[in-house]
Amino acid sequence: MSLIKLTGLEKIYQQGKIEVPALRGIDMEIESGEFTTIFGPSGSGKTTLLNMIGCLDKSTAGEIIFDGHSINDLDNKELAEVRRYNLGFVFQSYNLIPVLTAFENVEFAIRLIDKHSKKERKDKVMSLLEEVGLGDMAHRRPNELSGGQKQRVAIARALIKEPKLVLADEPTANLDSETSQEVLELMKEMNEELNTTFIFSTHDPQVMDYARRLIEIKDGKISKDQRRD
Amino acid sequence: MKFLISIAFKNMFRNKLRTVVSILAIAFAVMVIVFTRGLIDGMIEDTYSLYIHYDTGHIKIIDQEYEQKEKLLSLNYTVNGLENKSLSEMESDLSDLDGIEMVVPRLKFGAAVSTEEELVQMLAWGVDGKKELKFTNIGRELSRGRMVESGKREVVMGTALLDKINKTVGEKVTMVYTTAFSSFQGATFEIVGEIKSNLPLLNEQVVFMPIDTARQLLYLNDESTELLLVTADRDQVNNYLPAVRNYLDQNGGERYLAQSWRSGNTFIQLLEVSEKIYNFIYLFLVLLSSIVVINTLVMIVKERTQEIGMMSALGLKSREILELFLLEGSAMAVIGSFLGALGGGLINYYLSGVGFDYSAAFEDIDVLMNPIIYPTFKIEHMIFAFVIGVVVTTLTAIIPARRAAKLEPTEALREI
Ligand SMILES: Nc1ncnc2c1ncn2[C@@H]1O[C@H](COP(=O)(O)OP(=O)(O)OP(=O)(O)O)[C@@H](O)[C@H]1O
Ligand SMILES: [Mg+2]
Repeated sequence: MSLIKLTGLEKIYQQGKIEVPALRGIDMEIESGEFTTIFGPSGSGKTTLLNMIGCLDKSTAGEIIFDGHSINDLDNKELAEVRRYNLGFVFQSYNLIPVLTAFENVEFAIRLIDKHSKKERKDKVMSLLEEVGLGDMAHRRPNELSGGQKQRVAIARALIKEPKLVLADEPTANLDSETSQEVLELMKEMNEELNTTFIFSTHDPQVMDYARRLIEIKDGKISKDQRRD
Repeated sequence: MKFLISIAFKNMFRNKLRTVVSILAIAFAVMVIVFTRGLIDGMIEDTYSLYIHYDTGHIKIIDQEYEQKEKLLSLNYTVNGLENKSLSEMESDLSDLDGIEMVVPRLKFGAAVSTEEELVQMLAWGVDGKKELKFTNIGRELSRGRMVESGKREVVMGTALLDKINKTVGEKVTMVYTTAFSSFQGATFEIVGEIKSNLPLLNEQVVFMPIDTARQLLYLNDESTELLLVTADRDQVNNYLPAVRNYLDQNGGERYLAQSWRSGNTFIQLLEVSEKIYNFIYLFLVLLSSIVVINTLVMIVKERTQEIGMMSALGLKSREILELFLLEGSAMAVIGSFLGALGGGLINYYLSGVGFDYSAAFEDIDVLMNPIIYPTFKIEHMIFAFVIGVVVTTLTAIIPARRAAKLEPTEALREI
């Protein structure tokens, strides 16, 4: 069974009286453990697609099956539950909470789930921070970290609850190419170690090279889908 | 929830100046409430005791007819005993009633002193000096000499009155008055004391003399124009009043009126109503200051839109986002209200000792009121203001917090 199955997915934005079709019939399946990139020109619908998969927005038509369950009929509260327990997000602009330390930012995601004791939580967060190479910066605030370090914290935050799927919309767009590669290395490492499914978008060819599956979209449609092993 | 509180608390330090301004706005409003409450309370308290001391007692017994003629200082409707009892017997019976601690007789009549320029009118009060000292605060106001003593031909009066007639303590003064038989007479008294009071009544109008001396001069027997009863607790007057009325009825005293200090006193009633009206003003005041907090929160929501999108993506529900912002608002409310309550309490504590001079505002108003007010310091005022500050501000903070909660995650994330 695939982790995600999209069939005939469409999204039309309403901009005043004008209808803007962003996705026009996407069919695709993502298996558990895949490391996939979605690429394509600006405005092609990458963000829109990730938002649909990430249960952040509702489609206009078509169906999304996540882990065997259709999410089409879920209300906002139920969608939030799905995100809280099953999904991790990495954003282009990191979106760390500035008043919290790296440690606390990571802990934030796991506290929402609330099934660990304080001690367990601490150990888990610390070991993950070490894993992303920030063991000695756990008590720094975001403004005391570089862009690459911030994105590492964000990756740790996405992974801490051991989600089924991590979505990253242009995670390296704000980073220089060397740091971008380091971040991608880290994501790939995590993918292999934890078998977490990753989907990230980019329009940087260098970044795409890391993916094992490349899905190109153009004008809201899949124009290419290739696997590399 | 606990970690939302901790985040909300930390978030307050993101823009310290803005947070401080918001907190100060609330603190100021709460402080004003505590102060105003203390002031009004002090005013009411002061007015109560002035009225009780110099007008109504806790229970006042007068002749029914006297009520309308009180202003004329008529001597035709006195309290002069009951069917088979003299006034002295009546007084001692009354003081034996349950809860009645003292019976203070007063005999009020008009008098005048002529100086070279004018005839100075005054209000003569024949009193029992010892009882007055015990019942009122006149002892504190006596700046020179002593209170009048029974059997002597002597008077005590206020500083302004002494100035008007150009006399001082130790000198003699001749007063003219109308006796009970409407004859015009005069008598000379020794001035034995001076009263220095902020109260116009005591300062400029009243001249005290022993009640027995007054009776003798006016050709009255065992009579007074009024009897003031002092009870064990002024707030329990309604419990003591029936026994007094019953006693009067059973002894043929139907013509007497026994009134509680509260009834028929329009100024006290006015103050009590104003106390209630002020509650609305307080509410309005806090609402005004909570606008600052609303404004701060609106700015915060705008600035943190991305962050709200992130939290929403991480699975925070609308309710939790609402709570987060509400907590930030109410944290400011709690701190501001606490500081305000504390500040107001300190001000009242200080002013309850030294007083707050109001005299300019009351220059031309003829009410029985002390121009220096001593605000009361009461913890309950601080709690009251604190609660209003916290509740009102938190409730109004719902408006911007709802805005944050209603943001669509995708829209919020798109915002730069
Ligand atoms: N909220 C919206 N309202 C109206 N139109 C929208 C909205 N969001 C996206 N669109 C439109 O939908 C299309 C796809 O947008 P999307 O953001 O998914 O593209 P993208 O591939 O992520 O582009 P980029 O590489 O620039 O991030 C675009 O034409 C865009 O203008
Ligand atoms: Mg995009």
